[in-house]
Amino acid sequence: MPDSQDKLLEVNNLTKYFPITQGIIFQRKVADVKAVDGLSFFIRKGETLGLVGESGCGKSTTGRTILQLYRPTAGEVFFQGKNLAKMQSEELRKMRRNMQMIFQDPYASLNPRMTVGDIIGEPLEVHHIAKGKEKKERVQELLQIVGLNPYFVNRYPHEFSGGQRQRIGVARALAVNPAFIVCDEPISALDVSIQAQIINLLEELQQKFNLTYLFIAHDLSVVRHISDRVAVMYLGKIVELTDRTSLYKSPLHPYTKALLSAVPIPDPVVEEKRERIILVGDVPSPVNPPSGCRFHTRCPLAIDICKKMDPEFRDVGNLHFVACHVV
Amino acid sequence: MATLLEVKDLRTEFHTQDGVVHAVNGVSFAVDEGETLGLVGESGCGKSVSVLSVMRLIPIPPGKIAGGQVLFQGRDLLAVDDEEIRSVRGNKIAMVFQDPMTSLNPVLTIGTQISEALELHLGMTKEQARKRSVELLKMVGIPEAENRLDDYPHQFSGGMRQRVMIAMALSCSPQLLIADEPTTALDVTIQAQIVDIVKRLKRELGMAVIWITHDLGVIAGLADRINVMYAGFVIESASNKEIFANPVHPYTLGLLGSIPRLDEAHKAKLTPIEGLPPDLIEMPKGCPFYDRCRFRAERCASENPPLELAGVRHWVACWNWQDVQKKRGPVGVR
Amino acid sequence: MQLAGRIARNPPALLGALVILMVALMAIFAPALAPYAYDQQNLNAARQAPSPAHWLGTDDLGRDMLSRVIWGARSAVFVIVMVTIIDLALGLPLGAAAGYWGGWVDTLIMRVVDVLFAFPGLLFVFLVAATLKPGILNWAKAIGLNDLVRSGYLDYAVVIIALGGVGWGGLARMVRGQVLMLKEREFVIGARALGVPTWRVIARHILPNAITPIIVALSMGMGDIALSEGYLSFLGIGLQPPAPSWGNILADNAGRYWRTFPQMIWLVFIPGLVLAAVVFAFNFFGDGLNEALNPEIE
Repeated sequence: MPDSQDKLLEVNNLTKYFPITQGIIFQRKVADVKAVDGLSFFIRKGETLGLVGESGCGKSTTGRTILQLYRPTAGEVFFQGKNLAKMQSEELRKMRRNMQMIFQDPYASLNPRMTVGDIIGEPLEVHHIAKGKEKKERVQELLQIVGLNPYFVNRYPHEFSGGQRQRIGVARALAVNPAFIVCDEPISALDVSIQAQIINLLEELQQKFNLTYLFIAHDLSVVRHISDRVAVMYLGKIVELTDRTSLYKSPLHPYTKALLSAVPIPDPVVEEKRERIILVGDVPSPVNPPSGCRFHTRCPLAIDICKKMDPEFRDVGNLHFVACHVV
Repeated sequence: MATLLEVKDLRTEFHTQDGVVHAVNGVSFAVDEGETLGLVGESGCGKSVSVLSVMRLIPIPPGKIAGGQVLFQGRDLLAVDDEEIRSVRGNKIAMVFQDPMTSLNPVLTIGTQISEALELHLGMTKEQARKRSVELLKMVGIPEAENRLDDYPHQFSGGMRQRVMIAMALSCSPQLLIADEPTTALDVTIQAQIVDIVKRLKRELGMAVIWITHDLGVIAGLADRINVMYAGFVIESASNKEIFANPVHPYTLGLLGSIPRLDEAHKAKLTPIEGLPPDLIEMPKGCPFYDRCRFRAERCASENPPLELAGVRHWVACWNWQDVQKKRGPVGVR
Repeated sequence: MQLAGRIARNPPALLGALVILMVALMAIFAPALAPYAYDQQNLNAARQAPSPAHWLGTDDLGRDMLSRVIWGARSAVFVIVMVTIIDLALGLPLGAAAGYWGGWVDTLIMRVVDVLFAFPGLLFVFLVAATLKPGILNWAKAIGLNDLVRSGYLDYAVVIIALGGVGWGGLARMVRGQVLMLKEREFVIGARALGVPTWRVIARHILPNAITPIIVALSMGMGDIALSEGYLSFLGIGLQPPAPSWGNILADNAGRYWRTFPQMIWLVFIPGLVLAAVVFAFNFFGDGLNEALNPEIE
């Protein structure tokens, strides 16, 4: 077991419900979207934890709730030993120096009315790290670090390609020298040949600056490639969490198995021999999730107890966590 | 096997305010009866525009089919009148698009939309069409098909809508199904369902398929032949197995090096393709991949290589493909 | 500049821009441009048809119509600018606050806006102006500002307060909508994730991206303000003669003797035409601006 010194981030019972309201003047809550429902995990210093799941499973909400961009409904987020969920907004704002985010859509995540220099320089300014000439030099240095020409400072985002914009987003996140970065689907919007550029960049930066990543994506091959450990989410819950090797070699949860088998491998010889587990039906709504184990409606192994009891998320040895009655 | 569709030297361009975009620059390929052809490439490579040109679905203007032939069962679809192309579209050649939501009319029931084609193209009566619609929905694996005919598109999930689209495409028993990134908007488990259905239907109905995708993984499990496209050109064409086992174009090689494989044993570094694709308005004179190529030579800057034979039914557009083959190192799992 | 080029290629917008420019110049250089003082009477030259001495003729009291129209532009522009400032000062922060914070802040602000919208627009302005006016006048007299009352400047205050107080709701509603949309955009969430303070998120990331529709709405609104000022002055609750306003020129001339001398068509035609031209100009220009700033909409 790692001692607490090793852990940069520890999440306990993290829960985020979005209320659905009705009424104009007197708004009353009619239901909740249970986007994230009781997650517990930790991330060690310098490690990459991958968070994988299909659309609507709550993986992006998890990232944003950890960073307190959405305030959690319940649960604790310990970052560098402090509970972010309890922090007041000004204290939290100052804390953001140490934790940053990289977004999915390089077209939407940069303010179209600001120059590259202003975009990357803003965090330096608001955290009083540098201004004036010093700021400009730091911005140019950052551009170089992410592989862009430092003379680009006066250009606007629309003058860049998707991959270049994503590099600008990375430079912005790096500007404050953070310890932790949430990468929210940072390559999904990019073309295949550009994806590899960004993955390599993120890996290099991690080495260079001893960064810790929470890497969120829907593509299991990419997540497994970049992560040390991987958490698989389904409908607001983590169903399995383990290191990258045992996830592939010895997955335990039936959903993980189905997900692994559904990911195509770019090799016709391998594809010919693979057995697919085709799941029936669609993901149920997070407004009214199934009782008991949320996967039981699609699970090929479901037994009686799965409908009634929510399985415990437990360690089955060597920090291999799984939430399933059948395992 | 007999050739079903043959595209010869197709050229499509778009006349925009900024200049002429050369989207498709002399593309040739053929699809045999019952064959699955994969068109693979990144955004802007011309894969979608090629097939939209085949179907004459390019908006004119700004688009313009500047040259070439599209021979379908011996007839040049680019030369026939509008009436005739409409009788081919949706009837002999059907299409499935990426976004199943915008392809369905939100105010009409699923049943009405499927029946429409049946009544229009096949002259069925209302009852016949309804009966056939149920069959089609069952074929694509929609549970309780009878009850779902009167539902509206928004009552279906993304995966279910794509099944409906496939059912509609199959309604007139087409000889060729063109699928334009049909699973890109879907989750991977749903993608597996759709791929599974198309494979089964292809086997059962014996139709040919052109599957357009940027995902080498999906196409590896589906295609008989693969054409890799770049900047409006087909740059490599071979059988599925050959492309993955013996890629000889630097771009194909680069694509394969760019994607992490689920079955990789170690955390190996990816080898991305550096740089960006060329501007389609100011096309380079030589090879379009020149700027990004690891294997480039002097000649590549000035002369654009034509497709040449590099093996059994394996064509490549590269002056140095033999060099690439020698120096590329091992291909496949890292 | 691209924007100017796009407007220049759009004939109605270009025409609108020229009219607006002309009115603005008239307002700024009124003392130099007007051949006579706006209140200079000459009973020997009353009710004259247009002539080299009086290009647009003279009115009942022998005042030069051209001079009054030119000075009227100054009144109109002054009212437009002041009311727009009030609209911005109220509508922008309140709309932004309602959109950004939501919850009870939003409910409160938007219910006030709903009340403003519940009455037919001008009727409400009349009501406010008519009830404000005696109050303001009495108050000014009570504290001994008789000169100010006589000068007629308080009439401007009444018009501006009435139009501004009622008119900000539309802008607030639009700004709120923009903010609601923009605050979910990734670059705004990104700014928050960076630790950018809230006021700066709104000022640097949200509002600059809402500027296009705001400018268009303001431009269209300016035409409405000119028209409303005309209405108010026409009905006698706005600017009072001798202060020059296109509305009261129209009212004066129409009320006093157009019925007696219907052949003197220019007396009502000219101020009416000017007012209409300005309203159209702002609308054409606003339309053109909208198209120029959003080239993708056809």
